[in-house]
Amino acid sequence: MKQIRRVAIANRGEVAVRIIRACEELGLETVLLHSDVDIQSRAYRLATKTICIGPAATALSYLNIEANINGALAAGADAVHPGFGFLSENADFAQQCEKAGLVFVGPTSAAIRKLGDKVSFKNLAKKAGLPLIPGYDGEDQSVSGLLKEVEKIGLPVIVKAAAGGGGRGMKLIREMSEAKDLIESAQRESQSAFGSTQVFLEKYLERAKHIEFQIFGDCTGHVVHLFDRECSVQRRHQKIIEEATSPSLTDDLRRRMGEVACTIAALGKYTNAGTVEFLLQDDEFYLLEVNTRLQVEHPVTEEVLGIDLVKMQILTAQEKFIFSTNEIRIPRGHAIECRVYAEDPFMGGVPSTGLLGTVSWPEGPRRRYEYGFEAGDTITSNYDPMIAKVIVWDENRPRAIQKMVRTLKDSVIFGVHTNIPYLIQILNHPEFQSGKMTTRFIETYFAEGLKSDLTEDQIKKWAQEVNKNLKGSVTESNSLSLVSNLPSPWGSHWRAV
Amino acid sequence: MNTITLKIDGADRKVPAEVIDKKVWFKIDDRTFSYDLVELSQSSHVKTKSASKSPDKITAPMPGKMTKVFITEGQTVKKGDPLIVMEAMKMEYTLKSDINAQVEKVFVAVQQQVTLGHLLVQLKPEGVS
Repeated sequence: MKQIRRVAIANRGEVAVRIIRACEELGLETVLLHSDVDIQSRAYRLATKTICIGPAATALSYLNIEANINGALAAGADAVHPGFGFLSENADFAQQCEKAGLVFVGPTSAAIRKLGDKVSFKNLAKKAGLPLIPGYDGEDQSVSGLLKEVEKIGLPVIVKAAAGGGGRGMKLIREMSEAKDLIESAQRESQSAFGSTQVFLEKYLERAKHIEFQIFGDCTGHVVHLFDRECSVQRRHQKIIEEATSPSLTDDLRRRMGEVACTIAALGKYTNAGTVEFLLQDDEFYLLEVNTRLQVEHPVTEEVLGIDLVKMQILTAQEKFIFSTNEIRIPRGHAIECRVYAEDPFMGGVPSTGLLGTVSWPEGPRRRYEYGFEAGDTITSNYDPMIAKVIVWDENRPRAIQKMVRTLKDSVIFGVHTNIPYLIQILNHPEFQSGKMTTRFIETYFAEGLKSDLTEDQIKKWAQEVNKNLKGSVTESNSLSLVSNLPSPWGSHWRAV
Repeated sequence: MNTITLKIDGADRKVPAEVIDKKVWFKIDDRTFSYDLVELSQSSHVKTKSASKSPDKITAPMPGKMTKVFITEGQTVKKGDPLIVMEAMKMEYTLKSDINAQVEKVFVAVQQQVTLGHLLVQLKPEGVS
């Protein structure tokens, strides 16, 4: 067994809070490795210890391997949890943690290299005869060479960062005339997000659903899958709404896909939490990639199975977690997660930044909120726009959708605009409710964001009315403070004559 | 946060509201509104939103950093041509021309940080001398 007393968190925002909570429940201390601007965050206030590892720019802080390791060592941590994004899928980081004597809470660096690197993953899957999407992953990375390959595969084609994930450095080519611009843009985004311009190409499936399987390897190397999630509601390849389990899988498909997920995980000698992603079209499924980390949408799996994946991760890192062989896992009911993005849905989804005022997430049965920022914190343009996640569970999918709509309607966030109105419209859309939505759902119905049916004059009139009302209440409190400037009644009573 | 009463379509509605950073914020049904207090005190004719929407002025739709400037002053561009790529919250946004035009002035350079509404490019629409 590995002794862990203090876990360093190489991340920020809501996932840092999630990890702090799990550690504390297990009696472990936490050290938040943060950038200088992130002292304005919940995780900063909740962690046992905090160490500033650099400035706001991610390359100098959250993506800086040396700074993270030095910070963890300086704070006396014996383990590092990388969360998701940033260095979570960086095999070098995992390896350097191992070298520095820090337990990396996640798979081994060898498993990350095998399954996390998309080229190596594809070779492994190809050799094992597992289903893959047609594409190009060769060495020739010149734009002209890539353009030829795009023609060979046939449009539409998707360009992806070889080192990436989560939609960064990912572009869809529909017309040959846009191909050059899009390839170059993907290379730049990839360079800025992952420090490598290497990209690969893939045939884009037009009516596919995004289905993924949570996998987990315990400390003995026993790998199981913890059922599926569906994340077809995506915009610019970033997930917006995720659910467990998928409304689209028959028992037969679920069994076959689960087997493929476990096979690829076992080939990579996988330990700890990971996700095997698939595209499903016309009952045919294709392996997409393996995310060698905790997933943003892990809570929906937790809700339908009644488990805590982050605690399982830490216990596995401590070599304390072993699946019992006769345990039967059956998902119950339906869980949905909505990602809350700081953006203005009525302005085509442009990022919204600013000082947070009220942040109110009203409680209710089986409503769960994962959030990283509170009133008084500032949302800046330095980082990802996802500021919170809302998760609900109910007996079945229609009820879970109703509960999510009500939950989002109850939530109040002032200081930045959010996609909450957008989420509500998606949840109310007949195609989403039918469960038949594909990865083109957003592009088809919600590409432009939301249209306002209100005039500027109407909004201004309301704003004036609201402001007048607010001023009324402010004046009241001001008049209270004026009281202290009046002569004291005691004084007037005991005036010397 | 305060809850104030607002008459909407004849009915009294309870509306959460708050002033933050010189803006008034309030929520009606699903939608959250914010309004600049300075603009609020001006008459509705003063506010000229159309200025930022005119196709010969390319302004920043969000705060962020310039990552690529495709154009130089004097060159001509066609409708749909990419002019500038900017980055915010780790995503790239490409600003394209809505018109056929000549590039009159470029106000920004690569790596420059800009705020929301910053004028980036001045175009001269084709056929206008």
